[in-house]
Amino acid sequence: MKLTPITTTFLIAGAVFFPGTPAYSASCCGGGSSSSLLLPKASHAMIDTSIDIEQYDGFWNKEGDHINDPPGSDLNQYRLNLAYAHRLASRWQASVIMPYIWNDNQYSGLDTQTNGLGDTKINLWYEAFDDVTCVWKIKKLSDLKPSAYFGATLTLPSGVSPFDDVDNNFDITGRGFYRLDGNILIEKTIYPWSTALLISYGKYFERSVNREYGKYVEPYDMNLGDRLLATLSLGYTQFLDSMDTVTYTLAFSHLQEEKAEINGRTDPTSGFEKRSFALTAAYATMDRDWVYKATWGHAIDKDGWGENFPTTDVLTLGVSYVLR
Amino acid sequence: MYCVKKWLPACLLVTLFNTTGCQGVTDDLTPSDSDKRPTVVSGSTGSQPTQSAPDFTAVDTLNNSRTLSSELALADSVVLYFTMWCPICDSHMSHIRSQLIPEFPNVRFLVIDYVTGSVPASRAAQLANGYASFTVLADSNQALHDTFKGSMGITVVIDGAGIVRMNEYYKDGRKLRETLAALP
Repeated sequence: MKLTPITTTFLIAGAVFFPGTPAYSASCCGGGSSSSLLLPKASHAMIDTSIDIEQYDGFWNKEGDHINDPPGSDLNQYRLNLAYAHRLASRWQASVIMPYIWNDNQYSGLDTQTNGLGDTKINLWYEAFDDVTCVWKIKKLSDLKPSAYFGATLTLPSGVSPFDDVDNNFDITGRGFYRLDGNILIEKTIYPWSTALLISYGKYFERSVNREYGKYVEPYDMNLGDRLLATLSLGYTQFLDSMDTVTYTLAFSHLQEEKAEINGRTDPTSGFEKRSFALTAAYATMDRDWVYKATWGHAIDKDGWGENFPTTDVLTLGVSYVLR
Repeated sequence: MYCVKKWLPACLLVTLFNTTGCQGVTDDLTPSDSDKRPTVVSGSTGSQPTQSAPDFTAVDTLNNSRTLSSELALADSVVLYFTMWCPICDSHMSHIRSQLIPEFPNVRFLVIDYVTGSVPASRAAQLANGYASFTVLADSNQALHDTFKGSMGITVVIDGAGIVRMNEYYKDGRKLRETLAALP
């Protein structure tokens, strides 16, 4: 799919009218962590704000070997994510997520600080159920029915990419490509336990390139490879005396991106994989209007846990407010 | 409350775009395919294709002094690859090692470390990243970086006559291979 001014206009218009959900924050070399921004049933809207503190700890090379950063390196990215979700109909909801990113890196003799808007996500979700499926006990077969969400996410390249006026990857805040993801989220809660499976598959839109890391080049067409994200999580909810809740969630994620194409030919140096864990604690008030979240995302800095990708730890602190 | 619900998303968008000043935003939203490379005078001294590369002196990570002219005297051409030892650089260098060095045995491949800042640190980074067999120039004062307008992944090809044949990002290595194959 070639990106032309006409399709660009269509995509922007489509993004406005057909939004979607999983929040995906831009990161160095295009990584980052994902989280869902889903409205509860019978809610009108939700405002979500979070801060990501991502610390880099080496990288995996193409063979999957973990390589440490040079001694004295201190690579960090900070993201402020602003998100808004809105119910369109009883089974439809939409959201937009905009990150603002600060890069703060000391790498060998290089010391850089940059900031800018990240890539924007616009989501549209369809809920394939009418009633809340959370139950306390299994009394009949229908109590086993999970909640199923089907969604689409459009990524707008609003960040600073390698194709802008930057010197290296420490300066970037986005990938530079439009991407459309199809998402499936299946979740089931039998109190106090809950589990969820998120599968997201994305295709980028080919674009023209006439500049690389600040240097104008002979124009060519480029497209990144298809992207797959799968996240499996298990949660436990603790009810406090006040009927407020604290939910603890452990998640495992697998992220991979196929090789890119340049003028229709495969780029053998591209593509990546990453596997990581995340531990989340979420505190919700009794009426579930306010939710406070803290997530620690951890990638294993050992051989075989990723390929051609930075190894990072991410601490996320966030708060959501639900408008009834 | 109705107004808040209605206008909040628009306010968020406007605030963020105002914060960034939209700098660099529209470049990727509406990519350009126009050729904006600067024009240069062929044969003049400079770092761009068709220009004559300035001679340079640099120290490698084994503390040997090397000049462009002496390297060209020993090979058909010279390739400079600018690394910052990042994942992408590693991917490029791995590709050079496995695909291009065997194919072009008469070409001198020199890796330019323009970020590490000293010869010992550059040597340590070279070994830690598994490239002991490469010749790495420690560009401690970023002289080569400035001379050739190098940055992460920039690859420069200089032919036997000292003429720059390529100066751009490595990408998939195809342009480098084609450039080397086209040299006399």
